[in-house]
Amino acid sequence: MAEPAASSGRDGGDRGALPAAVARNVELLAALVASDLRARYGRGRFRMLKWLLDPFALVGVYLLLVTFVLDRPGRAPGVSLACAVIPFQLVMMAVMNGMNSVNLRRSIVLNTPLPRLMIPLSGALTETVAFAASLSLLALMVAVYDVPLTAAVLWLPVVLAVNVLLAIAVAYLASLVGLWFRELRPFMISFVRALFFLAPGLVPLSTIGGRAYDLIRLNPLTGLFEAYRAVVVEGHRPAAWELLYPTAVALLLLAVLLPVYRREARHFAKVV
Amino acid sequence: MTASIAADGLGVRFQFDRQSRVVSPQLARLRRRGEESWGLRGVSFSVGPGEGVALVGASGSGKTTLLRCIGGIFAADEGRIAVRGHVASLLSIDAGLTGELTGRENAMLLGVVGGLTRREVRRSLDEIRTRTALEDEFDHPVSSYSQGMRARLGFAVAVQAGADVLLLDEVHEALDHEFRSVVEAFTRSLLARGGVVVAAGHDHPLLERICERGILLSAGHLRADGSFAEVVREYLLT
Repeated sequence: MAEPAASSGRDGGDRGALPAAVARNVELLAALVASDLRARYGRGRFRMLKWLLDPFALVGVYLLLVTFVLDRPGRAPGVSLACAVIPFQLVMMAVMNGMNSVNLRRSIVLNTPLPRLMIPLSGALTETVAFAASLSLLALMVAVYDVPLTAAVLWLPVVLAVNVLLAIAVAYLASLVGLWFRELRPFMISFVRALFFLAPGLVPLSTIGGRAYDLIRLNPLTGLFEAYRAVVVEGHRPAAWELLYPTAVALLLLAVLLPVYRREARHFAKVV
Repeated sequence: MTASIAADGLGVRFQFDRQSRVVSPQLARLRRRGEESWGLRGVSFSVGPGEGVALVGASGSGKTTLLRCIGGIFAADEGRIAVRGHVASLLSIDAGLTGELTGRENAMLLGVVGGLTRREVRRSLDEIRTRTALEDEFDHPVSSYSQGMRARLGFAVAVQAGADVLLLDEVHEALDHEFRSVVEAFTRSLLARGGVVVAAGHDHPLLERICERGILLSAGHLRADGSFAEVVREYLLT
């Protein structure tokens, strides 16, 4: 059936101007992220401590097990593993947050014309702030293994930016999956976990050979993990494909998903 | 202030899947189609500056759906609606509040959602605290609030960004007498300044004090539009 013609006009005054709209969205994002963080870490004196310790509770135990208990071969295996586990954690948390993001904002969605486009973005940025604490874990692993840092570490902000971009893109995908196929949420989480094992998460890409090497490179997480390893463990700048491929996948996802999400967002208040 | 609302053939459709869950049109196309119903259909009216309009009708008649359309929360599936002026809405007891956050933190968040900057909200927090009369409770989590306290906070937060069009959906009926008079005084002052008030509910004496005009809705259609007394008479006859 064809969609009936419809429109909603709203007098936004001078708020329609692009710089004002950008400034408004930045304000909105900051307020949403701040409220999320407050709900997550509380508001007492210990919230900074909780923020710093959260990554240790999530993945730190696993990394310490690998570092101190298991005797694994290779160059700084604990740091190499951290270079996969930590960026993956941001992607994973962005997916989990994204799947519930619209429902978490149900009360606001039902009462205010909050720009819905901000919902997955704010969720991904909240996870980015939480993820920032994980970098202390990475620094700890580097110190434990006494890995010498080189000038290549200056590439780390670029690698982090690619990681965040990928997290934002999957957050939009996750929010649509969370709304459309609620019953498939556990499957989605398992699928993303499987992507970790279908990437060089446990061992570096250089140790993989044959056809698996080519196939694993198709996973956008592969380039991301290898880029972290290049700047932190191996001390050289990442190969171009390691940054460009995950970026291209993220941009493609956003190009496809944003128009779909925008259309869907018009009906959020009906379906939450 | 030149607040106004104009609806022309307004329709809002709800689509359901085979498990009777509401789905969006995109998802309805993906899945095998279920059923659909119209929450509103063919609704046309206009409200000018200084008008207070009460939406009257049985539960499920479309009052909340219409308020959500005016508030920009539901998009029109058919026809059009144009709203002029900044809208402040109190459409449920929760009023957009987040349970884990304190009253102050909710005021901060909803103030920015309402169009203010964080700096502007920070400056007005003490005023909001005074307006809500929540005192120390303002710094406690909203999950510990009673319905009346939530409604007080919701109202204070809703109007902090300035309101040209005020939407009230039954929740003002949860307010205690003292705060009800505050809401009534605010609505009278808003109408005097050329604003618009649209209120829905079943407390007709209260609605009559706020609104001179009534719109009767039934099964998503507009059945009558006139003076509040006439519309209520017609509603009670049906």
